[in-house]
Amino acid sequence: MKKLLLVTLATIALGATALVSFAQDELPFQNEIEARQSFMHILRFNLGILGAMAKGEAPYDAAQASAAANNLLAASKMSNSAMWPAGSDMSAEGLEGATAAKPDIWASMPSFGEKGHALTEALEGMAAAAGDGLGALRSNMGAVGDGCKGCHESFRAPED
Amino acid sequence: MKRTLVFVLGLAVACACVFFVLSMPQPLKADQVPKHNANLKNGELIFWAGGCTSCHAAPGAEEHERLVLSGGVELATPFGVFRSPNISPDSAAGIGSWSTLDFINAMVKGLSPQLEHYYPAFPYPYYQNIAYYDLIDLKAYLDTLPPSSNQVADHELRFPWSVRRGIGLWKWRYLERNRSLQTSDPATPVERGRYLVTGPGHCGACHTPRDAFGGEMVDRFLAGADSFEVAEGTQGETVERIPNITPHPDGIGDWSATDIAYALESGFDPDFDSFGGSMVEVQENIARLPAEDRAAIAAYLKSIPALPSDPP
Repeated sequence: MKKLLLVTLATIALGATALVSFAQDELPFQNEIEARQSFMHILRFNLGILGAMAKGEAPYDAAQASAAANNLLAASKMSNSAMWPAGSDMSAEGLEGATAAKPDIWASMPSFGEKGHALTEALEGMAAAAGDGLGALRSNMGAVGDGCKGCHESFRAPED
Repeated sequence: MKRTLVFVLGLAVACACVFFVLSMPQPLKADQVPKHNANLKNGELIFWAGGCTSCHAAPGAEEHERLVLSGGVELATPFGVFRSPNISPDSAAGIGSWSTLDFINAMVKGLSPQLEHYYPAFPYPYYQNIAYYDLIDLKAYLDTLPPSSNQVADHELRFPWSVRRGIGLWKWRYLERNRSLQTSDPATPVERGRYLVTGPGHCGACHTPRDAFGGEMVDRFLAGADSFEVAEGTQGETVERIPNITPHPDGIGDWSATDIAYALESGFDPDFDSFGGSMVEVQENIARLPAEDRAAIAAYLKSIPALPSDPP
């Protein structure tokens, strides 16, 4: 009787573990969503280095500034389409709250691509100037901001 | 039976009379408005602070086209769909035939030159706080912009909101609460910031929640709200949440005044995430103001009551 009880409990425990791991395992497109959110985080991290200098919160350092600007440029040039598969937008089933990507992205993919290119162009300008002094860095922040806002205005939903 | 009928009819007539009287327009007269030689440079500043292009430029217009205030932006609200009018200086389709007094009555009293009430989707409860001199300057600046002959369709509103005269009652209830005590010649940055935020900036029109009649809940000033959907270019049905911008931890309490001013200048928050959605255009308008005005807005926002966000 005791053995039967133990076996039953063990089976339930095993089953529960399997169920839990199954439930936690798969948001649709979880991998792609995490990848693109990490991508944005990398952009923010490097931009923060430049921005702290632009705001006067950190001393200007030409080498650091150049490195951060070149990181931004390299990141923006990555071939990213695999991170944006169709069906991974915020209105897709199972993805509520998991991503802020609006369906508008896939409805106007050429525009999304153009805005990505515009960001790269702005970052080319920053990479060329970031090591040339604080004035040059500051005067390129506006174009970089426009590059970020270009997508966020149309394609990203606000946080809850 | 007959007596009851007469009584009911009499009551209905009495109510109609009360409604008619309470909802009467109360325009300013010419002698209530000072004489002033318009300053176009200041008019342009008030224009950008007031964010006129966000509603009155044609949907999708870019760059210099945004100075053609041909109207037609649709605002889908619980009351129905509002459509912004043509306010270019075209004398037939726009406001080119308006006198300066007409313009001031629109901005301060929410009244058309024909003394019809405007719906407060046009944020005159905030614009009523703009000084007369600044309004005179603004009208003069608007007169320099390109004319447009664009005709905009009427609003599509549900009953009873479609009864425009009813806004006269709305004004009785709601117009006073948005009136802000300030001078137009402020002594401190905080006062200048108060003027910009509660007047032309009309930040509360988005960031303060509204009650069932569309009046702002002033005890939740700038504590965040559910947005109205902007029909043009938006898909999906999520209700967007407009942020809390009071100095509470739920809001922007951990932003310094410098952070706020820099965000308005550049579009970057202190973590270097960029603004998005409707706030992009607002930021780009405020970016055209002088730096001391952004610093003033920041100083004011650090001084208002810190309010927690509504629970979801």
